[in-house]
Amino acid sequence: MLRKSVAGWGAFGLAMAIALSGCGGSVAGGAASSSASSSAATAAAAAAAAGKAIFFDTSLSVSGQQSCSTCHVPSHAFTADPVTDHGLPVPLGGPNMDQTGFRNAPSLMYASFTPPFSLSNGPTGGFFRDGRASSLAAQAQQPFVTPFEMANSDAAEVVGRLRNSAATLAAFVAAYGESVLSDPEATLQDMGLAIAAYETQDDEFHPFSSKYDYWLQGQAQLTAQEQNGLNLFNNPTKGNCTACHPSQAQGYSSHALFTDFTFDNIGVPRNWLIPANTQGSVSPIDGAPESTVLTPVDVPADAEYAYYDMGLCGPFAPSQSDVNARPILSATTSLCGIFKVPTLRNIAVTSPYFHNGVFTDLHQVLEWYVTRDINNNTGNNPNPVAAGPGGNPYEAVGTFYTAANGTPDLYEYNDLPVEYDANVNVGEVPYTPPTFGGGQAPTLSAADIDDIVAFLCTLTDGFDPQNPTAYNVPAQCQPTAATSAAR
Amino acid sequence: MIRMLPARAHTRLMTLRFAGLIVAIWAWNSAAAQGSSAAPDSTQRQIDALAQSLKAVQAQLQELMQQNRALLQRQQELEQQLAKTLPAAPSPAVAAQPPQNPVPPASPTPPPPSGPSPAANASSPFGDLRLWGYGEIYYTRPTHDEKESQADLARAVFGIGYVFDSRTEFNSEFEIEHAVSSADDPGEFEVEQFYIDRRLNDAVTLRAGLFLMPFGLLNEHHEPTNFYGVQRNFVETLIIPSTWREGGFNLHGDTGFGLEWNAGLTTGFDLSKWNFAPEFPLYTTALELEDSDSAPLQTTHQELALANAQHLSQYAALGYYGVPGLTLGAAISTGDAVKVPAPPNVPIPGNQRVTLWEGHARWTPGNLDLSALYAHGAISNLSIANASNPGSPNPIPSQFYGYFVQGAYTAWNQDDYRFAPFVRWERYDMGSRYEGTSGPVVPTGLVPISANPGDYGYWPINQDRVWTVGANFYTSPHLVFKADYQWFHYNSDFSRFDLGLGLAF
Repeated sequence: MLRKSVAGWGAFGLAMAIALSGCGGSVAGGAASSSASSSAATAAAAAAAAGKAIFFDTSLSVSGQQSCSTCHVPSHAFTADPVTDHGLPVPLGGPNMDQTGFRNAPSLMYASFTPPFSLSNGPTGGFFRDGRASSLAAQAQQPFVTPFEMANSDAAEVVGRLRNSAATLAAFVAAYGESVLSDPEATLQDMGLAIAAYETQDDEFHPFSSKYDYWLQGQAQLTAQEQNGLNLFNNPTKGNCTACHPSQAQGYSSHALFTDFTFDNIGVPRNWLIPANTQGSVSPIDGAPESTVLTPVDVPADAEYAYYDMGLCGPFAPSQSDVNARPILSATTSLCGIFKVPTLRNIAVTSPYFHNGVFTDLHQVLEWYVTRDINNNTGNNPNPVAAGPGGNPYEAVGTFYTAANGTPDLYEYNDLPVEYDANVNVGEVPYTPPTFGGGQAPTLSAADIDDIVAFLCTLTDGFDPQNPTAYNVPAQCQPTAATSAAR
Repeated sequence: MIRMLPARAHTRLMTLRFAGLIVAIWAWNSAAAQGSSAAPDSTQRQIDALAQSLKAVQAQLQELMQQNRALLQRQQELEQQLAKTLPAAPSPAVAAQPPQNPVPPASPTPPPPSGPSPAANASSPFGDLRLWGYGEIYYTRPTHDEKESQADLARAVFGIGYVFDSRTEFNSEFEIEHAVSSADDPGEFEVEQFYIDRRLNDAVTLRAGLFLMPFGLLNEHHEPTNFYGVQRNFVETLIIPSTWREGGFNLHGDTGFGLEWNAGLTTGFDLSKWNFAPEFPLYTTALELEDSDSAPLQTTHQELALANAQHLSQYAALGYYGVPGLTLGAAISTGDAVKVPAPPNVPIPGNQRVTLWEGHARWTPGNLDLSALYAHGAISNLSIANASNPGSPNPIPSQFYGYFVQGAYTAWNQDDYRFAPFVRWERYDMGSRYEGTSGPVVPTGLVPISANPGDYGYWPINQDRVWTVGANFYTSPHLVFKADYQWFHYNSDFSRFDLGLGLAF
């Protein structure tokens, strides 16, 4: 541990030592201090350069085909590319690239603004979707030794591969020195620090270059539709999106990050395309191509299905090597099914959506949000809202809660054991819609949804105010046939 | 009462001593009577004994006379001290505190009272230290939404003052709101005033510290015995953010012909505290409206709690009480505020300035007590801040105002008892004009008003017209029982019945 500590902070420690000697020991303090700060900058840049080399180096995986960038693709706002993953909502990995993961890979963009995990005002912060890693560096180490990802058996195997990757090794040694390589654990921790330095320092991860950012600065015009979408996004009884995805700066950055880093259980439907969901489940499996799934832990004995991903309370526990990680919360059943709120920046290019990737386009997501409890047409819905004048305009969409065979599921929140249904957020708009004349109607019309999606598309980075027509937003930013038909 | 104590004690002492003398004379008389029938040889002994007794009585008399002189001297000293601390022509400049006579002042209107009350001043057990206090308890029942009925020890306030010398004194008030203040309770513990007054000459006093702003009829005289109605009026709560205090200093004084003046430099407002995105209504009852810090200046005043002091505000106030029964006043405050956080890389040109002005009048002919007040606030340069938060249910207003007229009548007055029904009409608008937005997006229909599932209500709007009808019943100038009913024109669910108990000493 001591060696790790010394080695891990070697580059920065050296810079600090230079800085201190510059301030205290030199007559020409100003010049020396300036030199020291430039040394610190040099060291930090070296760490980021090493991180970038590691980030893209597939030779560090057992398969030789997977790096961080395999599941966090720059052109997809550092989320996974569904084509690479054979259309699955979870990445492929493992020694032969045929094992599936359990969760939709989150975007790494703006991740460096995430605060450490805390329970003091309700769960907040931390890394991974369940906040189980204490820092970006602690998170970045884990995929190297995760069996269904890069699949190294331990840190020593990772370091062995690093030694065999000349360019990456050179960048690493330039930042952290050579001596640390003799301690694999310390080396892996330094690799995590290097990746974190890259993700923190490189503007590619947080350019704040969306059309929305330029609009705030008066250098772009939102269309009437986009502007109305933002209004609805902020309106507490329409979208109320800003309640968890604030469009105001929150103190983590001077920019709005469109997440407050809290956790919530919103009862998303089960995604039958995740192979882990189909293993041994009561419902039949309708063809899952990749099915080599590890045995999950912490599965309730009376589960309707054999496996549930319950976020903060499991199945994944913090790594033992992460000494600052949050506690294991599997016994805290009130936290079961709770996941961290993601940023909505670049949301238009980070499909699929939610921790299980159950939805592939934003219209679907919003339709589900506003009809979740009034049109689920599942076995436990006491008051389904019929279509017709003044009724539910989304009935044609049908229920989002299906069994593996596509028929309506018996239970609404079917990706959560029934005994944890009370954990689902049912108190906030848009789940709790306003009442009109004694009935309930969705808070958003189909046109409203089109407008909010149009606004969400303005959160895509890469807007050029000099050349606005070159702004690359995906097809889903356009009104859909389904919602247009429902207008 | 306290002032009378030395004289009364003296009288009582004298009575006891004279009683002793009478007993001694009676003893001498009875001894003489017995002596007339006694043997001659014993007569001389009796005469000697009586002579000795007489000497003793004379000595006692001398001692009593000395004590009497000392007591008279002490009484004169005390009266002189009292005269020093209660100048014959009181300076209205120190009118702020502590609590004064209850409303209405006996006609004709006296000059604003000065300094601590006589009772507080003469708290001889504490020497130059003075103590006072006030408090109020409410019961409020929204008649359209009775589940929101509440009872509250709204405030318990204790004042401590100290007279350093004939020209310098200290006053402070410490307030506990809502009975219990802790991390798990709704209450607050706060310092409401904390200042030094230094009389520079008979006409001018310097005040420094945390003090109440001389705005309106209520802000400086907010003790429950000083206003009609269970709760304070809305104009002087939502527009003038009573109890409004700032840190800084002022000069104040009295011209001697009924015109008082007050001008100072103080801390200002902090617009960066503004919440553009409340998920649920900031208030759903009239009581919450008063307590929610939702009004423009309520939510941005700093109360000298690590107050940002980059910008200072200036204010000036004038009051005229030269015509018996009539009080007129006006005040204005203006200063740059801490700005709303701008979007990154967007310099908001210029400053955001907060200006508040008011005018008020009170006339007390006979048993009537009539008053009126208008207050208007403005905040400049808000277009960028509001435009970057479209769809907000709570943008920052660039203008807001309110006014009221009130009439009360002392219908019955006997000894210390007084019964005064009143009626008040008031209008407030916490957002009469906006920049950068057409105004708050007010959700319609029944909407969720908290995160508790099924908790529906109507989103309130930030203006109203309110009728208040009720009565104050004083059992003494220090103790008042109140009752009223309030009708709200727009937020009709706020209409409520109130009971109150207020005291001040």
